[in-house]
Amino acid sequence: MKLFNNKSVYLLIPALLFLTLPLYGFFSAIFQSLSGGDRWTFEYYLDLLESTRFLSSIWFSIRTTLIATIVSLIIGVLITRSFYPYLEHHVPRLLVWLPMLFPHFVWGYMIILLLSETGLAAQLLVEAGVLQNSSAFPIWTRDPQGIGIIVTYVWKEVPFVILMLLPVYGSIKPGYYDLVKTLGGSKFRQFTAIEWPAIFPVLIETALIVFSFTISAYEVPALMGTTFPEMISVLSYEWFYGSGWEDRPMSFAAMVSLSLLILAFSAAGFSILQKKRWRAMRGRSI
Amino acid sequence: MNIKKMTFVMLALLLFIMPVLLLLLQSVSSPWRFQSGESFHFQIESFQVLWSAANLLEATLWSIVVGAGVLILNMAVGIAAGKALSTLSFKGKPLLEALFLSPVLIPVLAVAMGLHLFMIQAGLADTALGVILIHLVPTIPYSIRIFHNSYAQLGKHMLEQPVVLGAGPLQQLFTVELPLMKPAIRSVTFLTIVISLSQYAITSIIGGGRIVTLPMIFFPFLDTANTSVMAAFAVWFAMIPLAMYIIVEAFILLLPYSRMPWRNTR
Repeated sequence: MKLFNNKSVYLLIPALLFLTLPLYGFFSAIFQSLSGGDRWTFEYYLDLLESTRFLSSIWFSIRTTLIATIVSLIIGVLITRSFYPYLEHHVPRLLVWLPMLFPHFVWGYMIILLLSETGLAAQLLVEAGVLQNSSAFPIWTRDPQGIGIIVTYVWKEVPFVILMLLPVYGSIKPGYYDLVKTLGGSKFRQFTAIEWPAIFPVLIETALIVFSFTISAYEVPALMGTTFPEMISVLSYEWFYGSGWEDRPMSFAAMVSLSLLILAFSAAGFSILQKKRWRAMRGRSI
Repeated sequence: MNIKKMTFVMLALLLFIMPVLLLLLQSVSSPWRFQSGESFHFQIESFQVLWSAANLLEATLWSIVVGAGVLILNMAVGIAAGKALSTLSFKGKPLLEALFLSPVLIPVLAVAMGLHLFMIQAGLADTALGVILIHLVPTIPYSIRIFHNSYAQLGKHMLEQPVVLGAGPLQQLFTVELPLMKPAIRSVTFLTIVISLSQYAITSIIGGGRIVTLPMIFFPFLDTANTSVMAAFAVWFAMIPLAMYIIVEAFILLLPYSRMPWRNTR
């Protein structure tokens, strides 16, 4: 008996209606980046390629975001794999997710409170006699290297990585570990043979989500960044609201370029997953 | 307590509890200048300064209105799509799932800029509804996913049971599905409200400075207020998801089989 008739299709309507919002917005952005009054033009993209401000900004964004993404994944995996038996319990899990209660830029302010040149860390180090005075503390917030941005994102994304990984670690059967141990496998082999195949797809997906969010978010770099180099979203926002209307198409072109970049990263991620899955299936059939 | 558990507790304290405690402490004390010999000075004026700021209460109200609207729409769209995705099987379903997740990958700033003209033409710019709509873009993909997972975990048999007994769609939802999906409802509440509270750029583009939510006054505050007031503001930010959580929890109590919270173990 078929209990779920095709009426459930109607339940998809709200979600499909919602999809028109981002799709319309995205295509309208592409349209506005290509329209030169009465004709199509690529001149804004050519302008972008000649703008040192844009080029240094996109490079700075990719570099900062990649570092933040990779570091938060590594720390997230380390914490989850070391402590997931405790993380299954209610209270420890809530503790780990406490930072998720705060918006990113509020967490960024906390980093300023902690790590700025007059922050708590600097004051404590001076008190302890490690530093002569607080001006000897390295500039870690609003710095040209993007350290403040990286620290904020890593600290904020680690709980998210744990959130994504926890169900995977919970579903790994303990017997597999015994199997590797019986066969004389080292701790490292336990990780590569049991955990890695299970977490790899989730890691790729998490990496894509964190990467695309971090590279395109405005709030944290606006709070923690400098004026040069600046993150791409800050630059686009400035062009959008800049002194004149003439910068607006540039802002659209920058955002569309960023989207294409993220889509390229996503396509790469998915194709890796596809290959991996294929290989895993072949391995099983042998 | 063994060494591993100790390490975990220390790490959790250092990484996740300490920062929040610091914010709390700073909000109820004067700005710290230990090197000039000042000691810890307790005060609650920072909260008074914060509350007396002209637009704080208004901004809090707007944030709650926008957040509640975003949450309700997220629940509706997420539950409907989640149920459809987990009960239907058709060609191209994986593609549709990927499509539903795709807004997470498009920069929301690009979407907001692209929608700006449309919002002006449709009369939605500078309105709360417009802001709610644009806040849906970074939230709904997560909600659909969470509810889809949740329905999948319930399993086909649990979903078939009320159908066999002759319950209509709404009765299925309220007597079987929602009571069993409490964890999903809680996750969606937290995620949606915090994401909505985090949006400065897209709120400012679509809200046009008329819809002043909390982030819109947080950034200007940075230039004028001292660290204690800013810390109080940061703590204030966490109050809104907590308040929303309590309200949603109260609604959850209204669901069947949860009238007596002291009997529930979960």
